[in-house]
Amino acid sequence: MADFRLKAEDAGQSAGLLERCKATGDLDAFDQLMRANEKQVLGTALRLLGNLEDAQDAAQEAFLRLYKSMNRLPDIQEIKPWLYRVTVNVCNDMHRARRRRGWEPLSGDEPASSQPDPELAWVHQERGRLVEMALKTLPEKERAAVVLRDMQGLSTREVAGILGSSEVTVRSQISVARGKLKKFTDRYLRKRL
Amino acid sequence: MNCPDWEQDGEDCPEFEENAAAMRDLNVPPAAFAAVRQRVLSEIQAKKRRAAWFAWSAVAAAACVAILSAAYLLPSAQRPAALVAKKDPPKIEWTLAQPVSQRVHHKSSGRSLAQAGPVRKREPLAVVKMLTDDPNVIIIWLVDQKGDSL
Repeated sequence: MADFRLKAEDAGQSAGLLERCKATGDLDAFDQLMRANEKQVLGTALRLLGNLEDAQDAAQEAFLRLYKSMNRLPDIQEIKPWLYRVTVNVCNDMHRARRRRGWEPLSGDEPASSQPDPELAWVHQERGRLVEMALKTLPEKERAAVVLRDMQGLSTREVAGILGSSEVTVRSQISVARGKLKKFTDRYLRKRL
Repeated sequence: MNCPDWEQDGEDCPEFEENAAAMRDLNVPPAAFAAVRQRVLSEIQAKKRRAAWFAWSAVAAAACVAILSAAYLLPSAQRPAALVAKKDPPKIEWTLAQPVSQRVHHKSSGRSLAQAGPVRKREPLAVVKMLTDDPNVIIIWLVDQKGDSL
């Protein structure tokens, strides 16, 4: 499970970066802060939006909001949950805007799989693509809950904090979402294999 | 469902875990991270430039306003109100000029008095003296009885 609490060494380093950013708006320090959090932000956005270009736009917006709100973040420990919250909100906004325009982008290039066996790699990749498609069919809250809990590896309590819901609600959303994802992937894999 | 525990904990459910693992395995190309960082930094720099330009414009505008105020508004505020001189109109003295007593006859004309006809007696002239502020300047205006000036 992911833990928002940073190791003492990392925390000290990141706190120094945050202080430099706050004091002088130092862009080098902000660049390092982005490097420390980019996997979290871009990964979440990619899973929520299912498209690399949109995910990059969402990540850019999230980091710009972080730079603007830097002075309102009292502690380095708050950056990670704050970034998750902002990323989820930005992705939801983009989803809604896309729905209003009645436009759904096609998925970009298939991400490379780390499986060594080509056949297994293909199945793994296919499953990944199916889950990506299935995620698009989920309502916003369920999608965010299952991505944060199962793909980003956060605890139910952390997800509840990020989404502003109770733990019971999040557990229920995750449960429903998992069921839908499984049904979706099973149906398609059975047809294809 | 084949997995009874999936509702509570995904890790205990291998079927669901496959889905989660497949999504977790999503690899983002490193260039995508670099592109995002680049875009964010250039956007921040552009915003900073715009803010600096706006600040300088505001300072320049404020300086212009201050200079204009100093040049036009402050001196007029310090200057005393203009004194409007109350002046009486110049005094006019009405005096009757002395009548012309005799006409001078010139012998060179060669005409006799009889030929010349009766001597027309000139009417006395009115002299209008206008005093000005300057005691050395007096305007004298000669007017005949008909009101024609000479």
